[in-house]
Amino acid sequence: MGFGDLKSPAGLQVLNDYLADKSYIEGYVPSQADVAVFEAVSGPPPADLCHALRWYNHIKSYEKDKASLPGVKKALGKYGPADVEDTTGSGATDSKDDDDIDLFGSDDEEESEEAKRLREERLAQYESKKAKKPALVAKSSILLDVKPWDDETDMVKLEECVRSIQADGLVWGSSKLVPVGYGIKKLQIQCVVEDDKVGTDMLEEQITAFEDYVQSMDVAAFNKI
Amino acid sequence: MAAAAELSLLEKCLGLSKGNKYSAQGERQIPVLQTNNGPSLTGLTTIAAHLVKQANKEYLLGSTAEEKAIVQQWLEYRVTQVDGHSSKNDIHTLLKDLNSYLEDKVYLTGYNFTLADILLYYGLHRFIVDLTVQEKEKYLNVSRWFCHIQHYPGIRQHLSSVVFIKNRLYTNSH
Repeated sequence: MGFGDLKSPAGLQVLNDYLADKSYIEGYVPSQADVAVFEAVSGPPPADLCHALRWYNHIKSYEKDKASLPGVKKALGKYGPADVEDTTGSGATDSKDDDDIDLFGSDDEEESEEAKRLREERLAQYESKKAKKPALVAKSSILLDVKPWDDETDMVKLEECVRSIQADGLVWGSSKLVPVGYGIKKLQIQCVVEDDKVGTDMLEEQITAFEDYVQSMDVAAFNKI
Repeated sequence: MAAAAELSLLEKCLGLSKGNKYSAQGERQIPVLQTNNGPSLTGLTTIAAHLVKQANKEYLLGSTAEEKAIVQQWLEYRVTQVDGHSSKNDIHTLLKDLNSYLEDKVYLTGYNFTLADILLYYGLHRFIVDLTVQEKEKYLNVSRWFCHIQHYPGIRQHLSSVVFIKNRLYTNSH
């Protein structure tokens, strides 16, 4: 957050872009936010920064009743576009400064304690929420093609062998025999696996281990569920 | 929006409780208000100014002589230009002019919210709702002004809130 150095042309340019679609720094009424930024600008912005100039003149017209505008003044770095780094050096993030001098006095110390407590509370809340939510298991549905040696291979036995492979996170689904030619049929079988526990490499290794029946196997389709 | 409906909206945002009855006159449906004591009032801006005085919010008509003149000018503009045209081309010319006018102003008169802002907002609402995202960005100053007025307390009422994207998509198109 922040506009950078509002006395430099670059800072004014950021302010100008920020105010292109806004009438005020915050919300839809003049507030202390406008006063804070107004005071940081050294004088009327140049005429080519029309949005900044318009805003400047507008806030200037409230000069008399500046103190009665609503809102609480914050550090300059708290205003402005979110994607610009705060260069106004508001100490809070700068730990080196904290060690040397207590910039904010004891008042702020208490506030930061409060903030710390609040943050920890939120963190704990978040943790417990996370713990309650069941972990999402990534699963995939795989369609395997298992090819026998020849037309004399016992396909029923082959399927039995394949289905005999058991592993944690592996569920066999439906299967069918698909003719490939010369009376040879291949076994097409569906299975659902948990990605973390079962991989296609392991399936291939185990299926091709039945070398009496299985000539080769392919993954025909692989879909994330 | 029919003039009578608009005037009831204005009554509400001025905080007037008693609902006036309006009749419409002629082909262009000019609103007429029959007052208890005296002649009837004809025309949107005349009645609007009357309502403002009734609500004791005369500052809405401008505080200095110049401001009063500007408010009158924009009320006239509202009735003659905004209501008089409805073709797309006319509206775009109108928005373009308004866009350059509003470049260095927060409100129509400059720094103060007036009746001119309210009535121009009501008058333009039906056009602004139909604008595409690109058009809203093209008329950036109008969008800013419009968005500002629709968030002004008590003005929008039942009218739909027009959404303006915060992050600009086409940064060099204005």
